[in-house]
Amino acid sequence: MKYSIKSLQDIGEVKANLRATLTSAKSPEETLEMFDRIGLEPFVTEEDDLLVRIWAVAAEDFVPREEAAIIRAKRATSEKSDDLDWLGKNLAVVRGQYASEWIAVHEGEVIDHAPALPELLGRISEFDRPLITFIPAEPVTWTFTYAQ
Amino acid sequence: MPNKDSDRIVRFYEVQQIPPGPSIWVPLVQATLITQAGGRINLPLLFDTGASITTLRAEFYSILGLQSWDQGERASTATAGGTTDAYKYMATLEIFDKTITCPILLNNQFPFNPLYMGVLGRETVFNEFGFWENIHELYVTGNP
Repeated sequence: MKYSIKSLQDIGEVKANLRATLTSAKSPEETLEMFDRIGLEPFVTEEDDLLVRIWAVAAEDFVPREEAAIIRAKRATSEKSDDLDWLGKNLAVVRGQYASEWIAVHEGEVIDHAPALPELLGRISEFDRPLITFIPAEPVTWTFTYAQ
Repeated sequence: MPNKDSDRIVRFYEVQQIPPGPSIWVPLVQATLITQAGGRINLPLLFDTGASITTLRAEFYSILGLQSWDQGERASTATAGGTTDAYKYMATLEIFDKTITCPILLNNQFPFNPLYMGVLGRETVFNEFGFWENIHELYVTGNP
């Protein structure tokens, strides 16, 4: 089950369910697993607090659908595409540091790099689904693109 | 009237050119390639409705358990530089929350671009999904 919040009033009910989850779990790990299962994003802060991300509809039909697509493309998202988004926005810096190398990107940072792909993969097996790509020293070829 | 219900979005990524130039928008997806050793790595792929078969850079032969990139069934593929040789294999990809075993080509003439290590082709992969396009986004359904 995933929470679907239709209005700001629903947040009170969600908070009550969160409190019930906190008291029913046997350990902090179990609490985090329960939140993961219901589609919330738990996060433990450096101050030992537990935060969860709750999205609520603040305004329906906020912008025209076409404009919404452009806004989403320009803003960072919390989806799995973050590493690719990060790479696109930091391409010049990454290219300056890792030209002619294979790199692995995980959670918005380059976790390792190597001149050969097997060497890189042999060192990053503990990471779940890192983004793998090659940074060319040559000029980037923009074939098959949609230019604006 | 086509059904335009969708549950996934293919984003168009805005890329700043090097050297600086007009913004380029490219439709990209992250596909998870399951390696021969059972590991999972994410590969950025260009969402290319003009490509028939999913094509990856030749360097990925080793993680598919191959001894060389050109030991499979020979095929031809069209690139910006003309027609080149490619070699066909089967691979397992996870994409849009589906696991698909599909044919892929390895090509050693694939253009250099850090934002895509290959193209996602129609064959097998596109049979699984339906698509419709809006400005800067492609909408995807797993129930075409």
